[in-house]
Amino acid sequence: MSDVWFVIAGYGVILGGLAGYAIALARRLARARQASLRIRGEAESATTADLGE
Amino acid sequence: MSALRRNATIALAIARKDALAELRGRQAVGSTIFFAALVLLLFGFALGPDSRRLAEAAPGLLWLAIVFGGLLTVARLHQMEADDGALEQLALYPVDRRAVYAGKALAGAGAMLLLGGLLLPVVAILYGVPLGAAWLPLAVTVILGSVGFAAVGTAYAGLTVRMRAREVMLPLLMLPIVAPLLLAAVKATVAAVAGDPFGELGAWLQLLAGFDIVMLIAGGATYGFLLED
Amino acid sequence: MKTRILGFTALVAVAAATVNGLFIVPADLNQGDAQRIMYVHVASAWLAYLSFGVTAMAGIGYLVRRDLRLDAVALAGAEVGVMLTAFAIWGGMMWGRPVWGVFWQWEDPRLTTTALLLALYAGYLLFRRLTDDPHRRAARAAVVGLIAAIDIPIVHFSVIWWRGLHQGPTIGDPSKILNPSAPPLFVLALMSMLAAFTLVWGYLMVRRYQLARTEWEIEEHGRLGRISAARRSFTTESMAEESAP
Repeated sequence: MSDVWFVIAGYGVILGGLAGYAIALARRLARARQASLRIRGEAESATTADLGE
Repeated sequence: MSALRRNATIALAIARKDALAELRGRQAVGSTIFFAALVLLLFGFALGPDSRRLAEAAPGLLWLAIVFGGLLTVARLHQMEADDGALEQLALYPVDRRAVYAGKALAGAGAMLLLGGLLLPVVAILYGVPLGAAWLPLAVTVILGSVGFAAVGTAYAGLTVRMRAREVMLPLLMLPIVAPLLLAAVKATVAAVAGDPFGELGAWLQLLAGFDIVMLIAGGATYGFLLED
Repeated sequence: MKTRILGFTALVAVAAATVNGLFIVPADLNQGDAQRIMYVHVASAWLAYLSFGVTAMAGIGYLVRRDLRLDAVALAGAEVGVMLTAFAIWGGMMWGRPVWGVFWQWEDPRLTTTALLLALYAGYLLFRRLTDDPHRRAARAAVVGLIAAIDIPIVHFSVIWWRGLHQGPTIGDPSKILNPSAPPLFVLALMSMLAAFTLVWGYLMVRRYQLARTEWEIEEHGRLGRISAARRSFTTESMAEESAP
């Protein structure tokens, strides 16, 4: 039955899209958290150097 | 290097620069396409819900959406330089003005080709018009229409970019000029989709091509004066 | 981590509901296998509407309290919502082609309203990108989100009236989608998919919220770092001047 292709296309895009988005989010979040730690470290050392002298 | 080769190189370089700037400032390209698709959606609300009437109107609505999107596109291609103050530099650059024009028109035609290409499936879905069989004549029509619109649009955008009220000036000047292009493109689209029952597709495409040639020559000849203004 | 547990649970739930919807539940007598698409289509649509409700509410909340965390919630709702809306439209098209014969049909108020929903919130997301200052961006976005949310029921009703006044043949009867007297198995399948999708939605919202907060922190600390660096270079310059003969 040719209807099957539409069902596959429907489920495939929707579920695949959800999975893809979840994975992309996880990656972006991991990278952002690393960057945040790094920048916070830089900012802190900058301010302490600022005040230390 | 012959003058022609030099001009061609310059034109391609300008077109490439414009294309890169467009794709990097992602907002504008996507927004224009989004806007044109939105126009198509709204036409549906205005003329629907009778699906037969919408299917009949589809070619006209497609080209109206392309024209509206095209106005934004050609304006944007000159706005980039105006915002950066690069227009003066472009005018002072010691090259053949026609090469600059050709480059910008090429970039404009490319952008409009992208727009038209993306709107075709939207029209097919929203208005229930089967476009698959006629893809070749449709592609030719979109190419000729894009080139013609970009030919006129580049010249007029260069003319109006530093004027006051340019947002309304550009469409005001351009729409009457492109009326024959719109007419021919719609007729050609109708013929293509219907399988060309009366054999008129060729005539309309020739009209489009003629329009393109005339406008490219006129635009190229006058662009230098417009820039120096 | 609680979020990971949520994500894992959501994954299992979706897998179970999908297997149920595709293989266990019988096909509809009228619509055949195409009816199975309804499970993911309806689930996507309901959660999209929930998302945008969250965006509107969070926007109002921001306007009242000026707490940027609420704006992060609004952003998460809009992004997740746009994606779910696109899926709902896709599902509607995949269902419409076998059942109605066409991918699109103007008289179905749900499909057309959902299309406008997509346009409204895609515009909301584009609009957000144009403002850099976090508080101004949050305030402007809140207004846009609120007006968009108010518009949706108006659109829905106008399409229903639009259809009612039109005399032509109706291709598809929207009541075929959710027949209240449908066999309990169908209703159960739909409910389980809806529950599974709600778990997925919750997980995605949390992650997107966390991302928005982290990105804001990066902006903030980047700014502080630049201010400190600028101050430092200023003081070392003036120190160099004093020590020069």
